[in-house]
Amino acid sequence: MSGQDRAPGRDSGGSKYAVRMDGITKRFPGVLANDDVDFAVERGTVHALVGENGAGKTTLMNVLYGLYEPTEGTVYVDGRPREFDSPRDAIDAGIGMIHQHFMLVDPMTVAENLVLGVEPTKWFGLATDERQAIADTRELAERYGFDIDPTERVQEISVGEQQRVEILKALYRGAEVLVLDEPTAVLTPQDVESLFDVFAELVAEGKTIVFITHKLGEALAAADGISVLRDGKLVGTVRADETTREELATMMVGREVLLEVTSEPAERGGETLAVEDLVVTDDRGVQAVDGVSFAVDAGEVFGVAGVDGNGQSELVEAVTGLREAESGTVVLEGEDVTRDSRRECIEAGVSYIAEDRQERSLVLEYDLLRNGLLGGQTLPEFSDGRLIDWGRTRSFVDGVIEEYDVRPPDAGATPRSLSGGNQQKMVVGREFERDPDLMVASQPTRGVDIGSIEFVHNRLLDLRTEGVAVLLVSSKLEEVQRLADRMAVMYDGRFVDVVDPDAVTEEEVGLLMAGEDPDSGRGGGEPRATSTDRPTDTADVD
Amino acid sequence: MDRARLAHYLDRLVDATVLERLAISLAALTVAVVVGGVIVFLSGAVATCREPALALGGTAFCYDPIEVYLTLARGAFGSPTNLGLTLQETTLLLFTGLSVAVAFRAGLFNIGTQGQMVLGGLASALAVLQVAPLLPAGSLGALLAIPLAVLVGAVVGGLYGALPGAMKAYADAHEVITTIMLNFVAMGVAFYLVRNHLGDPSTDAVQTPSVPEFVRLSPTIGGTRFSVIALGFGLAIAVLVYLLYERTVLGYDLRTSGLAPEAAEYGGVNAERNIVTSMTLSGALGGVAGAMYVLMILYRWQTDMPPLGFDGIAVSILAANNPLGVIPAALLFGAMKGGAIQIDFALGVPPELVEVLRGLIILFVAMPEFFRMLGARAGYGSVEDEVAADGGQKRGEEGD
Repeated sequence: MSGQDRAPGRDSGGSKYAVRMDGITKRFPGVLANDDVDFAVERGTVHALVGENGAGKTTLMNVLYGLYEPTEGTVYVDGRPREFDSPRDAIDAGIGMIHQHFMLVDPMTVAENLVLGVEPTKWFGLATDERQAIADTRELAERYGFDIDPTERVQEISVGEQQRVEILKALYRGAEVLVLDEPTAVLTPQDVESLFDVFAELVAEGKTIVFITHKLGEALAAADGISVLRDGKLVGTVRADETTREELATMMVGREVLLEVTSEPAERGGETLAVEDLVVTDDRGVQAVDGVSFAVDAGEVFGVAGVDGNGQSELVEAVTGLREAESGTVVLEGEDVTRDSRRECIEAGVSYIAEDRQERSLVLEYDLLRNGLLGGQTLPEFSDGRLIDWGRTRSFVDGVIEEYDVRPPDAGATPRSLSGGNQQKMVVGREFERDPDLMVASQPTRGVDIGSIEFVHNRLLDLRTEGVAVLLVSSKLEEVQRLADRMAVMYDGRFVDVVDPDAVTEEEVGLLMAGEDPDSGRGGGEPRATSTDRPTDTADVD
Repeated sequence: MDRARLAHYLDRLVDATVLERLAISLAALTVAVVVGGVIVFLSGAVATCREPALALGGTAFCYDPIEVYLTLARGAFGSPTNLGLTLQETTLLLFTGLSVAVAFRAGLFNIGTQGQMVLGGLASALAVLQVAPLLPAGSLGALLAIPLAVLVGAVVGGLYGALPGAMKAYADAHEVITTIMLNFVAMGVAFYLVRNHLGDPSTDAVQTPSVPEFVRLSPTIGGTRFSVIALGFGLAIAVLVYLLYERTVLGYDLRTSGLAPEAAEYGGVNAERNIVTSMTLSGALGGVAGAMYVLMILYRWQTDMPPLGFDGIAVSILAANNPLGVIPAALLFGAMKGGAIQIDFALGVPPELVEVLRGLIILFVAMPEFFRMLGARAGYGSVEDEVAADGGQKRGEEGD
């Protein structure tokens, strides 16, 4: 296929929708990622897909792009039902996707990247016609008004330019519909502006654009239509010129009618954790936590809400001993543990549910017995410091499996044979049953099915009743609102505000979380200040 | 085979239980023996011989595969001398196999056992040559010198293993690459030192002088170099390594660090330091293998040591990296080595064909494990696709 071949295009004319997705359900073991979603995009428009982290935006787009097969539902392109076995089929149907992580070969030139896999050839297909490739690139770039030198190496051009190369790549393969996954996350404010100009240019050429974002300002600024996803369901689709930021925020974070909290606030004890002026840098040396102070009492749940990647991970790692703070103090039960190792923190009674359970909280190669020991191998309960007491470990793990209803109830099984919910129940059980003084729970219900969410929530509240101090970090607003006694909203390394979760509206918090403080008057379409950096590991998980 | 079917098989393989895996290995072994027999039989058609095992039409098949296997067994175990030859090979493979298994068990691919063995052996020989004149000849001297030689071999091999370990832990240099390269460095350095500075001046061969009689591990079976003391030592190490990983906090930490560094850190383990420790232990065992080769087989260090370190990789994989499994795996390999000579003598079957049989066994037995490891790494098996559900990337799609 050469760049000149265009997939069935705009003049096939069957439908006013370039793309229509009908009743899409996508189920993963233990997770319902998309639940009966109807989604349609008119030809020649820009459409924004917004929602919180884990709302199912990227999953839906991956279905469209042929990366996933939907469990139920049909994808229509130009009014015709299509079944995509792979992205190749989607590309052939005229759908191009630009991922958050660019799929470019850095040492190769722009033109080489552009034609990769569909190279124009010469000498009867024996060699790549490089001159043709460069000419094609130049022609395409000029048509859409991109200022790009085809002979420059990708590693030498800016991130914004790389993104434009990705867009050209999709166009070269005949894309009529361009899907962009969080395209602004990696861009500077200036680059965001010009990206939106590119959108306008493409639409003028008859292309259709779908982009994923969780920034309301961007959706309002760049899109014609906006669809909101929440917990895998489509909340609604609105026209950008007929809606307001507040309406969108409500749709995006609106409270789920989950079971209401039944337990009364527990009796507060003394101050268990005190964090003072904490400054933490991330792996790249960028300051991620910028002078945060707070305290958590025994018998209190202190919640931290916020969009992923605003310093929550680094904060949690500093508190749990996994990351050394630049400055500031962490005091646990009156003892300064700021410089303590992770092991010392565990021994001091800090339990921790990590956000990435398959990377951190579990060893996928180990059975549940060995996973049940993780972190506790030096605690007197499980060893004398040298030899492991497998007998006691075994009864501990069996107890966790039974009490936390881990299925299948088999200490010899590996986490691979468990659903996400059951994996998390195992982790939660292990961390809870070690009798912690401080429980740090980071995204404790991420990727977990509804039933297990209720379970984990209730257990967290039980723990509070038992007088444990709980630090809960979650990007799911309703989770923090439901469980926390006090709630901080974290944005760009700082606590924007600490509020009573029952006394604030979803809109207020939603705007705080989206980095648009209604009090300070900041806002508009302005992207977050952190967005100039490449996203951190946690930030790019949608 | 279409992709869905392949994915299905990979899922099944990754989820296989220990018993299923054992059954797979045994079946693979059987198939390897059968296929090897067919190859031996067919290759007989292109060989020339006076008494073909079978003549079909105009074609004479020289080799009878059943006869080959029987001779192989006789050659390996048929007489005390044969048994001794088999066991001396087994002993050496026990050490190199354990060296590899220690690292593999901890999720680290130490391909550098050969280099660790070369340097460990050299250091051990040099230490003995230095110390022996100061010691009384006889069993008291042996009692002092032999443990010292083994210790020096272990220390030097261990340090040489720690090097790629540190590069892995602190500079993210993949241990497969670094250990392979360090093998060449070890051989080159040892060759240079012995040829130019430390060699035996009375000969042109690149070798050290012989170690005195009393420091040698005396053969238990006449006509061979097999020492039951060395074998006993190796068996003891196998059990110790097994206990280390099964029973101790250190073993748990080592293994966790290699398999899942992030989870190890989460569990309060210094993953970096433990990666270095695993590689050091692995290198130390490689060094001991070198010391054993010097003290038990050659009585001196000589350039071009046999590729025992590389054979150790096969032994370890055959044993599914289980330290106790290394014992029968080393025996199997030792037997094939011993038997190969006999086959050459008795049947005129070239020893290279026995190498083919050996290769087939590794191929057949190791491949299911290999695909299992690959499949698990690519995210197959009934692992919940949580990352994807969160909107991340699909399995196998990771950018790096």
